[in-house]
Amino acid sequence: MAVCVGIIGKDNSPKYFTCLNPDEELGFQYKVLSSLDVVEEKLSSGNKTGSDMRELYLGMLYSLETHKVYGYVTNTKIKFIIVVDSTNTALRDNEIRSMFRKLHSIYADNVCNPFYIPDEPITSKSFDRSVKHIMTGA
Amino acid sequence: MRSSVSYILSSTTSEPNMSHPDYEQYSHDHAALLILVKHLGSQLKNKVFNKFYERISRVNSVKITDSTGQVRNILIRYIKDHPVENNDWGDFQTHRRLLGLISLGKYDSQQELNEICRVHESLKVKYTNTLYDSRCILFGANDEREYPSDNSSPEEQSIVSSSEVLSSKDSSENSDITNEAQDKSSVKEETTSSSYNPLTEGESSNKDNEEIKSDKVEEKPKSPVKTVREKFTTPSNFKTRALFYNEAEPCSDLENQLTEFINSLFWVLESKRLERSREKLERVSLLLAPFEKKDFVGLDMDSRNNKKRCTGRMTKHLGDLCLQAGLLSESLSYYHSAAETLKSVNDWLWLGAAYEGLCAASALVLYPNIQRNVSLHRNSSLQEGSPKRSNSITTPIEVTKKDIMNMLPPEEISKKYREAIIHYSKYQNAGIIETEACFKAARISIEQNHSLQAASFLQNVVFINLTLSEQEKIQRFETLSDLYTQTGFTRKAAFCQRLAATRYVSPQNPTPNWNQCYNLILQSFPGHKIMLDPTEMCSNNVQMGWPLLQIQLLQELVVAAKRMGHSALATRHMTYLLQTMWKHLSPTDQKELAIQLQSLSSQCEGAPVPLVLDSGIVIPPANLSNIPVCASFVLRNLQPHLQPRKIETLKRDLGPFLFTPINFGSLERRTNKPQSKMDFLWVENDVCEVTLKLVNPLPFELKVSNMRLLTSGVVFESIPETVVLPSDTPTSVTLNGTPKESGELEILGYSTHTLGVKSNCRLRYMLNFLPLYSIEVIPALPTMEIKTSLPQSATFSSFQNFENVVTSASISLYNGESTECTITLTNTSQVPIEMLEVSIQSVLDPSLQDQIFKWSQENLESQLPLMPNGTASLTLYLYSAANFLATGFGTAELSSGVFGSSHASSIMSMSAGPSSLPSRLNSPVHSAMGSSFHGARRNELNSSFRSSNSGQSSMTTTGYRSPGALTLPQHAASSIVEGQLQLRYSGGAGLQAGYCRTCSVFLTLEMLPSLQVTNWDVLPAETSSQFYLVLDIANLTSQEMELHYTPSKHMLIEGHESCRIPVPVNRCPLSKLTKLYMDQNSGLDDRLDLDKICSEHIANLVDLRWQLLSLNVKGKATLKGITLTPNMLDIVRMSPLNWEVNINGDYLKPQEEINCDAGDCLNVCVNISNSLEKPLRQLMLTIQFYQDHQNGTHNYRLETRVVIVGGAKKLLPTLEPQGKTWHSCNVLFLTPGQYKMDIQCSTPDSSTTVPAITGTAGHTWRYIPAVDINVNI
Repeated sequence: MAVCVGIIGKDNSPKYFTCLNPDEELGFQYKVLSSLDVVEEKLSSGNKTGSDMRELYLGMLYSLETHKVYGYVTNTKIKFIIVVDSTNTALRDNEIRSMFRKLHSIYADNVCNPFYIPDEPITSKSFDRSVKHIMTGA
Repeated sequence: MRSSVSYILSSTTSEPNMSHPDYEQYSHDHAALLILVKHLGSQLKNKVFNKFYERISRVNSVKITDSTGQVRNILIRYIKDHPVENNDWGDFQTHRRLLGLISLGKYDSQQELNEICRVHESLKVKYTNTLYDSRCILFGANDEREYPSDNSSPEEQSIVSSSEVLSSKDSSENSDITNEAQDKSSVKEETTSSSYNPLTEGESSNKDNEEIKSDKVEEKPKSPVKTVREKFTTPSNFKTRALFYNEAEPCSDLENQLTEFINSLFWVLESKRLERSREKLERVSLLLAPFEKKDFVGLDMDSRNNKKRCTGRMTKHLGDLCLQAGLLSESLSYYHSAAETLKSVNDWLWLGAAYEGLCAASALVLYPNIQRNVSLHRNSSLQEGSPKRSNSITTPIEVTKKDIMNMLPPEEISKKYREAIIHYSKYQNAGIIETEACFKAARISIEQNHSLQAASFLQNVVFINLTLSEQEKIQRFETLSDLYTQTGFTRKAAFCQRLAATRYVSPQNPTPNWNQCYNLILQSFPGHKIMLDPTEMCSNNVQMGWPLLQIQLLQELVVAAKRMGHSALATRHMTYLLQTMWKHLSPTDQKELAIQLQSLSSQCEGAPVPLVLDSGIVIPPANLSNIPVCASFVLRNLQPHLQPRKIETLKRDLGPFLFTPINFGSLERRTNKPQSKMDFLWVENDVCEVTLKLVNPLPFELKVSNMRLLTSGVVFESIPETVVLPSDTPTSVTLNGTPKESGELEILGYSTHTLGVKSNCRLRYMLNFLPLYSIEVIPALPTMEIKTSLPQSATFSSFQNFENVVTSASISLYNGESTECTITLTNTSQVPIEMLEVSIQSVLDPSLQDQIFKWSQENLESQLPLMPNGTASLTLYLYSAANFLATGFGTAELSSGVFGSSHASSIMSMSAGPSSLPSRLNSPVHSAMGSSFHGARRNELNSSFRSSNSGQSSMTTTGYRSPGALTLPQHAASSIVEGQLQLRYSGGAGLQAGYCRTCSVFLTLEMLPSLQVTNWDVLPAETSSQFYLVLDIANLTSQEMELHYTPSKHMLIEGHESCRIPVPVNRCPLSKLTKLYMDQNSGLDDRLDLDKICSEHIANLVDLRWQLLSLNVKGKATLKGITLTPNMLDIVRMSPLNWEVNINGDYLKPQEEINCDAGDCLNVCVNISNSLEKPLRQLMLTIQFYQDHQNGTHNYRLETRVVIVGGAKKLLPTLEPQGKTWHSCNVLFLTPGQYKMDIQCSTPDSSTTVPAITGTAGHTWRYIPAVDINVNI
């Protein structure tokens, strides 16, 4: 389903990055990095409305010829980015949302690990496995 | 945004579509008059041209009052280049037409002038379809200073007057100038400021049209005479108005000329607009976009639909013209109705254009202040820190905008733009129109602060498929990046910049430009959160940005710099990459990049200096502090013997408490932190050390050369060091240096030269280090080298201040032996030694220490000052001082008094064994007995001890058991004395500063036992002035020893043998004791004093000299510290009473025996005289007889054997000093036998009549020895 997942800290530096095809990682990094601009913009404009219960899901950040980039921001300003293949038209918004929710929950699990220092890059293997699971939709 | 029907309506023919996009367009440019500013000829410098271009560009809006008195705001857009093809779209959007031409040129000769004029004319031909008017600005030769630049006006006039042919256009303008506004703004000559007379515009506009078209035709045949200055004239066929200036002068009327020019353009435009507006809408011809020409071939042009299409397009066209002519409200209504009409006929392209026009007009009303930033040049522009979001919506416009009908509200503008773009996207050939629309829409969105909207417009640009040249693609990316930056999308902007950079050098690009590529990559750094200064990158512990991308970008930058031919930059960036991204690189990358750096630096060595680019950007130095990694950085104290010390240490007041359980240190947390200020000192001109621990993280051997210390403060000479570091092994490196001044020295870090890069590794920028270390450097102190004449010690035992030891000396001495040791001091520094203090330190008692170590301070001081390289010598006298007396008894035992002592010893002696005789120790018989064996040597040690009758002797404790073998007393084994000869020296400036150095010589003295007095006793001598000191001397060596105990007598003692020697000693004279007798307030101490005085007396007089014959070693033994019992004391000191005993009138000599028969009467006469200086009172003189059974029993009960005639006792009330008295009696022995006569004189107890007459209260003096009487039958 997803081809790339990134978790970005509140200082906008990557904490976790994976993609199905490791050879394309650099390209995906560029895509995710430039999508952060949109995330930032959405966050800053979202604050102006002042709604307390902010929608964590940001929707599609932007779409490219081949890929679509979706964003999700936790209340602690941790950004989740999912890149999907734009040829995959079967993918609905709801599925993206559920992917984000799952991602959020395993991220929360990882943060609960006392051996993980928040804001450090995530290197946990089990976390990686879970993310891969979500990405493949299995 | 892209329409799904894109390309459906577009034709695939290769129509001449507009192939040169203009990314710089603003929506406001819809309303602007397009003027081309052209640089002609090669004489005019680019810089000058740009200067004038900017000046011209500032005239970008002109207020013109039209014929109805309404003030029109006319906008002007200047461009430097305009492809003719773009004019083709002029029908579609009129602002694309080039209306004016200004050319700038410089000439030095007529030929050049002609050339410029020719080019200008050809340009006019090129744009002839759309051009309304032109100007040619000419800069004359520099030598024509006499003509002020403003003088162009009269010439103009002359030109005008002389050129009749031009009257059709120019002269008609000039002849009647009525425009008031123009009059006000014109400076010098009204005649030159040309403007259309509003009254004649109707006719003239028609003429104009013809004129413009006929320009080309008329050019050649016409030959207007233009006299320029004196010599140069424009060619005859040149009929443009020329403006002559001197480039060096202010050209103050340039703006007026421009205004006039714009006026002329406006009036032409206005006339055209009026002309168009008067046309009947039903009869207008169809306006076409360039690519549409084929589409309408064969269509029914008269259909109702087509009619509407024509009308709609014309309405839209009118809207364009109105907009350009400054009639906003009119244009809005035109656009509005055009949109309605075109919508109904599904003319998407033109509908889009109508919408765009609507948006442009509305934006012009809402945001009149949007302006392009003129001063910024595209490629050299720096990223602005904050995106530009000027909000130019001001209140006056709020008011005006309500008045205008059909105007779009702000939020509608982008919506309409979106629609327009969607409509455009249906046509492949309108790609450039669409792209430009996107940019224009994005700019409006930025103005509205709708970043997301702007971003979506910009995003759309990427999708538009255009066949563009590489240059245009690059421009597109650059413009995108510029706009992204303005929206605050720095990452996206950086991304676009990087794309543009790669385009510059892509294989498709026929002319790769590495310079541009490099600049763009550099510009994209802020978006990737890369700081140019590596220290900033490393100082934040938080990793900024995306390392993987940063690494790639930096690598690209290195390649670009290398290809650019700037190898210094390449080295610098590679260094930066290694330094900042080290921890994000994989080991193989680390290795590869390090090798790359090595090869790069072989072309240009990296140095820690900032590099300045042509664009003015400063690339700060990058220092490799990671290669090698510094694990520790420690300043070393000087070696202990070189450490400076304060000459006078102030006594620190510690307060009344020497110890407090409250640990203040634990409360003050900061004391745990390492201090940057060192608590030790360095010395000027002395080599100082800093120890580094370096780790080479690379998998190959790393050579680090030229390592030095970086310091500030006092002058410091660092000695370069070169090390080769093996991979991954911590290596210690010591960096040396010499401070050349005194004062505060700061150590900031170290410099390295590795992988071909020089780096200054400052601790401030390195993790886990203090920013700097500071240390006090004191003025120069001398250094001294010390040598001794004795061999060095094999080992040092641990000892206090052991660290100062520079050399050592060891020697073995027999007790009593002495020797000399010469210590040679050499000044090895350049500073004279002016102060030298010698002291000895040991754990010994000070008095003993002084005996062992002696030297002459005076001798040493006489050798000062010690000049550089001078030597001095110090002689140290060593004497093996030891206690030669066997330590058999404690002093306490002796001092406890006569009775205590005797009692204790008697018990001891009895318990010791049967061999010791039970005796009453203080009996006088002992002394008498002692004389019997004096001088007689007993071979058997045991018996000699047994016969020894001095109960106080050491035998009581030792109790020698083993016959024949000498058991050495405990301390008789060799002992080792250790001492340090401490030398404190200083000189020069260091001395004045109060510092010195301390070094010491470690002395080891092995003291071998030589002889020992195991036992001693005193015996009265033959004369009363002397006594015999009997010593039992043990030879503790294994050699034969010759002992000289008097000047004349000597004796040989075998090794480990013992013998007894009598030493005649003068009795202690009373003069030494007078004080004791005189002192009335004496107590128990007197006994000790007496003891001491006598002991010293003996020690001084007895001179025991020994010599080991085989070793030729000589020595001297002292009896210092000999202890004496009270009985001994009586013998040792002179008696205060002088005795004279006469038997039967004969003087009794000492030791003399009396022989008589039983029944004989002996007359005993005793004379006593007082030799003290005070009277003795209550003396009791007693004469007593007894028999000694030689077994410790004295028989005093002799009533049946001895008869005394006369008083046996006599009381002497007073004996004056030097006074004499006598007593006599007769004695009759009844039975034969051996008798002894004891004569004694006693003073009463202190409790009786005269208390405390002397210190010897209750003392008894005896006549010694007791007299032996042999009574025969």
